[in-house]
Amino acid sequence: MPSALPHRRPEPPPAGHPQRRPHGRPQRSAGRIPRRSLLAGGAAAAASVPLLGACGRAEADRPLTFWNFYSPAPQQDPNLVAQSDWFQKAIDRWNHAGEHEINSVYMTSDQMNQRMPVAFASGDGPDIFLISPGDYLRYANGGVLVDLAPYMEQEAIADYFPEALTTRRDGDRIFGLPMEQEPLALFYDPDLLEKKGISEGDLPKDWDELLELAASLSTGSTTGLVLDVDPGYYQNFTFYPWVWQTGGDVIDPTTQRPVFDADGPRAALELWGRAVSTGATPRTRPANGDIVSAFTSGYAAFWETGVWDVMNLTQNAPDKRFGVLPLPPPPGEESSTILGGWAWCVNARGADPEAAARFVVQTLGSMDEQSIDHIATWNGPAKGNMPARRSVDAKLQADDAYAEEHQKIFHDEILPTGRGEPRFPPVVYKAVSDALQSVELGGGDPGEESARAQQTIESYLETYEGGSLV
Amino acid sequence: MSAAADVNADAGPGPGQGAGPGADPSASAAPGPRSRGGGRGRRRARSRAQRETRAALFFLAPDAIGLLVFVAIPMALSVVLGFFWIDGFGNFEFIGIDNYVRMVKDPQFWNSARVTLLYLVVLVPLIYVVGLGLALLVQQRFPAVGIIRSALFLPYVISIVVVAMVWQFMLTDRTGVIASLLSIVGLDGISFLGDPRFALGTVIAVTVWLQMGYYMIIFLAGLQDIPGELYEAARIDGASAWQRLRRITLPLLAPTSFFVLLTSMVAVVTGGLDMIFVLTSGGPANSTSLLIFYIYQQAFLFGDLGYAAAVGSVLVAFLLLFSGVMFLLTRGGRFSHDD
Repeated sequence: MPSALPHRRPEPPPAGHPQRRPHGRPQRSAGRIPRRSLLAGGAAAAASVPLLGACGRAEADRPLTFWNFYSPAPQQDPNLVAQSDWFQKAIDRWNHAGEHEINSVYMTSDQMNQRMPVAFASGDGPDIFLISPGDYLRYANGGVLVDLAPYMEQEAIADYFPEALTTRRDGDRIFGLPMEQEPLALFYDPDLLEKKGISEGDLPKDWDELLELAASLSTGSTTGLVLDVDPGYYQNFTFYPWVWQTGGDVIDPTTQRPVFDADGPRAALELWGRAVSTGATPRTRPANGDIVSAFTSGYAAFWETGVWDVMNLTQNAPDKRFGVLPLPPPPGEESSTILGGWAWCVNARGADPEAAARFVVQTLGSMDEQSIDHIATWNGPAKGNMPARRSVDAKLQADDAYAEEHQKIFHDEILPTGRGEPRFPPVVYKAVSDALQSVELGGGDPGEESARAQQTIESYLETYEGGSLV
Repeated sequence: MSAAADVNADAGPGPGQGAGPGADPSASAAPGPRSRGGGRGRRRARSRAQRETRAALFFLAPDAIGLLVFVAIPMALSVVLGFFWIDGFGNFEFIGIDNYVRMVKDPQFWNSARVTLLYLVVLVPLIYVVGLGLALLVQQRFPAVGIIRSALFLPYVISIVVVAMVWQFMLTDRTGVIASLLSIVGLDGISFLGDPRFALGTVIAVTVWLQMGYYMIIFLAGLQDIPGELYEAARIDGASAWQRLRRITLPLLAPTSFFVLLTSMVAVVTGGLDMIFVLTSGGPANSTSLLIFYIYQQAFLFGDLGYAAAVGSVLVAFLLLFSGVMFLLTRGGRFSHDD
């Protein structure tokens, strides 16, 4: 990534530069200053020097803040409590070692979306925070992320799976450490399928079979296939693998040029449009997007979602059977998926970026056995997703963590087909989102929409300065 | 009339002053043999006037300072920000009118402007008609009218996010309460929130449901100020209910109507973000992407603060223009009936 954009604040006047006086007769207030006022002003000025110094020290000494949406848990849900405890344990370990104190600050991801820009704009951003690839470039191009590579051992850097780290690094510099990989797959309700006379041997193997089966299942209160419908980064995230399965892409990783106006992306758009127009996919998600309620109520047969829902379903509906299969590809193509997940970043303009970076590396990016065990707990019992590091993967395998049937499918069949979530800047995201929304829900033509998106991205890239897009 | 003039008027005419309230005492004080005593009186009156002016300013100051610090200065700064490229991380550059040029060429901006205008011209009259209709209904005396008034006002005091989430559940395709009810009468397959043809109408309907109670109360207050004798006389003269509404109620409700139209318009254009955010996220296919939601996206999701400020400035300018035209056309809400 090229260096951050230069600061463009105007230069302040040099110290001691005489301030221009207003023309005309001096105002009364600008005349002689009474001696008493002068003395009072002098005393105040003298007192302010140590006070200002104390302010500077107070800023550097204040506890570091860690903004996240896991801890302290606001609910008693055992799944959320376990995740919160995992964060708190890492923080407690750091604080008990007498390091610069860290406080965890909980907020929902929507609250974080709104508070982060305001906090950074006012120079009061969190010291440590979570970031998804979708937001990465804005912060990296803004020059507010600390390069964590100097704090890491080479062995630890090599320990990361390349797909997990690629979207958080620029050359040798690493601006965020992922704590997980979260692939997407197709979850299904075997009870509902059996009721309709469909055995697991009849599960769809390609796009056409999927849509045909889903459309036939969509009757009454039952929906055949749930795809995301709400415009946003998440919907794009769930759409990209369908594009990749065609061999197409949004941006060519080699040339960094848009390739969205091509057969592959057009076919993926057409698939999503057809899913809705044939009634296979509803225009609003059942049970407000809650897969547990939808599966336990028999509202949905197939649902595109991520590995995190294995733990969600297992813990919140322990008696409910469910299955997982890789996203079906176009006829004759290979399946492919996307790898999401969150990374920890450090604010370069925080109170103590050096301590914050050491904390992040100690927790997530160290070869220390305690660190590896702790991450294995996150990817295992706490959140049940896929690890971003080989050593953690080995530890989980040794612990038989993938013995559970769904985890085994994710680990053995789906994860190897994964590709890191793209870190497209907002304009690229929005162009794809508009095309997708138009075709999926507005009856737009895939050819016209992909061409329009391509044109938008091309004109944006003409003046784009910043890190590589893929 | 200024505060000082008010104070002078309260002080009353001094010796030798025949001017009415509001007249400048110093202007009408004639010099002469009584000028010494008159001068003392003038000084006393002036000193009292100054004291009262200071007191008035003192009481006005908190509001004035609050408006200045939290409204006027941020508004002015926002206009200034519209001329900058700002990335939200301390990096900025003066770019003149580039943000405004971009806005002119931005199809998403025009789409949001179109959606906002449609939202405005449908929602404001609907709020007016429903609010007034409910007020006329609950103005009558019948059993449990108090409970009905409270029930109608209740949605207004509930959090908008909660309201939006409840409606989202009810409007879900296939399994929502409304879809289930409609399927009984054979109306299947309507997606109120997922179809661009219906989504904005659905948002408008939910907003009317949410806000009707508030405007009902405003109209109720206006209706209770209309003297009952007028209706009585009209009845004796044989006026029908429709004639009483047209000839008595609506003309005498004109100031209330003006207030409702103006405040609902401002609320509609500058509000609605939380409702849209929860209910539709601006979709499907940007069909509910109001300008306020577009500004939110640009500022908070895309970090383009300068452009968001420029769009915000245009929105405020539109509101000022619209309000100004309304003031002019209605003579400041007095209409012609007060003449």
